[in-house]
Amino acid sequence: MPALDVILNALISGVLLGGMLALTALGLSIILGVLRLVNLAHGEFLVAGAYAGLFLLQWTGIDPLAGLALIGLVLALIGYPIHRFLLVPLAGKGPEASMMTMFGLSIILQNLFVLLFSADTRAIDRSYANVPLEFGPISVPQIFVMGFVISVVLIVAVHLLIARSRFGRDLRASADQPQAAAIIGINVSRVHAFTFCLGAACAGIGGTLIGIALSFTPTSGASYLLTDFAVIVLGGLGNVLGTLVGGIVLGVLQSIGGLTLGDGYRDLVGLVLFLAMLSVRPQGFLGHRA
Amino acid sequence: MTVLTSQNTPQRAISIRSPTIRIVIACTAFAVLLAAPIVLPAYFVEIGFKLLIYIVLAEAWNLLAGYGGLVSLGTSSFFGLGAYVTVGLINHAGAGPLQALAASALAGIAVAIVMSRGLFRLRGLYFTVGTLALAEALRLFVINVPWFGGATGLFVTVDLPEIAALFRYATLLLALAALVMALATGSRFSVLLRAVRDDEDAAGQVGVRAFRIKLAAFIVASALIASAGGLQAIKLGAIEPYGSFGLQWSVDPLAIVIIGGLGMRFGAIVGAVLFVAIGELLADYPELHVAITGVTLILLIRFAPRGICGLAEAALRRRGAAPREARP
Repeated sequence: MPALDVILNALISGVLLGGMLALTALGLSIILGVLRLVNLAHGEFLVAGAYAGLFLLQWTGIDPLAGLALIGLVLALIGYPIHRFLLVPLAGKGPEASMMTMFGLSIILQNLFVLLFSADTRAIDRSYANVPLEFGPISVPQIFVMGFVISVVLIVAVHLLIARSRFGRDLRASADQPQAAAIIGINVSRVHAFTFCLGAACAGIGGTLIGIALSFTPTSGASYLLTDFAVIVLGGLGNVLGTLVGGIVLGVLQSIGGLTLGDGYRDLVGLVLFLAMLSVRPQGFLGHRA
Repeated sequence: MTVLTSQNTPQRAISIRSPTIRIVIACTAFAVLLAAPIVLPAYFVEIGFKLLIYIVLAEAWNLLAGYGGLVSLGTSSFFGLGAYVTVGLINHAGAGPLQALAASALAGIAVAIVMSRGLFRLRGLYFTVGTLALAEALRLFVINVPWFGGATGLFVTVDLPEIAALFRYATLLLALAALVMALATGSRFSVLLRAVRDDEDAAGQVGVRAFRIKLAAFIVASALIASAGGLQAIKLGAIEPYGSFGLQWSVDPLAIVIIGGLGMRFGAIVGAVLFVAIGELLADYPELHVAITGVTLILLIRFAPRGICGLAEAALRRRGAAPREARP
């Protein structure tokens, strides 16, 4: 049994990391909820965000945290043509066609990353990634706290956008009944395009945060894709705040798994939980709200 | 799989109607394959082995996705499972290759049955994600649990059969796969399977037991994939989690079937030949090869959802139809 402060530290970093995971999962969740698309290239969007942060720092010296909005914009700009030229032409051809197209894109991007940026493990090197923040016995890296706060703010912002704004009303209508929404004059394809860009931006910003807090490789995407699915399934699809809860629950469980079984088991805990959850309660802990 | 395969039943691109002729052609082909290692240079036997393994995997994937609508990204879970069971039995139980391969097929069936309850609750897209998670979970399990040699993997400790013998095993496996596919796609079962694929609820209402039908297809495919994994492990002589459970084993069969033709009887063979040929041409640039595979997938899904076989069939039909239209 490890000492109490070790346990406490692990739990708190689990919560903080879980918040960041929730932000990346949100990108996957809104695209799945509104476009009915399993974005198998989601993990690559996340890694692209991490590279964007890395190169922003290297080339311009702008701190990636200050440039988060810029990174989100870049990812949204990358997302737009992907939606316009790869996904829109497949409308009406069934969900598998789009999913496999995104899968094709994912393997292209993964190998482009390797070719362009080499297969090295990278980390965005900032002082606040290593300097710990201490409250008595608890000490966590500053970036965990900063990343958590940024993630929670963005998740709440997206929640308000969807729940309160005019655009959010259109979005919910398009997600529920695309045809009915189109009939009453909602520009469903514009909503879809915007949602896709928003999802890509969330993934990219989350990817930058994770790139500072942890490290990444060109092929990290696949495991984040699965982790994010676990988060969505825990929190319930289409439930924005549920995603935050799901992320934190998963982060804590991963920490407990890593602490009790060994660090290699972190991801395994998430996946087993995900598979178990899918077969027992696919609508998530918090019930169903599409 | 509504849209990618919706053009009613998969038609045969080359229709040789008489069953006797078909059986004779198939038997001759397998006899030639069995004899091939005697005359072929070693390089071609190697390539041939790879091709045979890929055809088996692609046939299994086509059965699931093309005929059953179960788009799986978990081929690697059964492939890796077969590899580990085979090497384990050869090393520790003194099993011969054929016994070990049969056992790995049984292990594949067992895991398919155990996982089916959870996976088949997931319709469509969620099934795909579930299979992807299964593959990743198995890989992490094998890396972390100490019995399997961790990330280093395991070595086969006995003498390995030479490549010519392995080529013959692969031929036998393919013959088995072809037989199973002929039975599964040319019988009442295939009608039930496609009914479940096209509308599971409607099929259920007219009395088709969807779960059993899907499970049967899943079991057959898993057994074939696990045996192929075992055979590949015997050939390599050493296995490790990243190789045996690698995503590539899930991607390649999918790519092959999409290239050849999803739900098309000859899709797996045509696709595998092209895929292996492209792979050999680009052998020095593996990243480029995978990226080109991705581009090919995107283009084919968009412009030729039924793959090369679908294109060929459409061309044949046009040629056949043109003279008739000319008549008044």
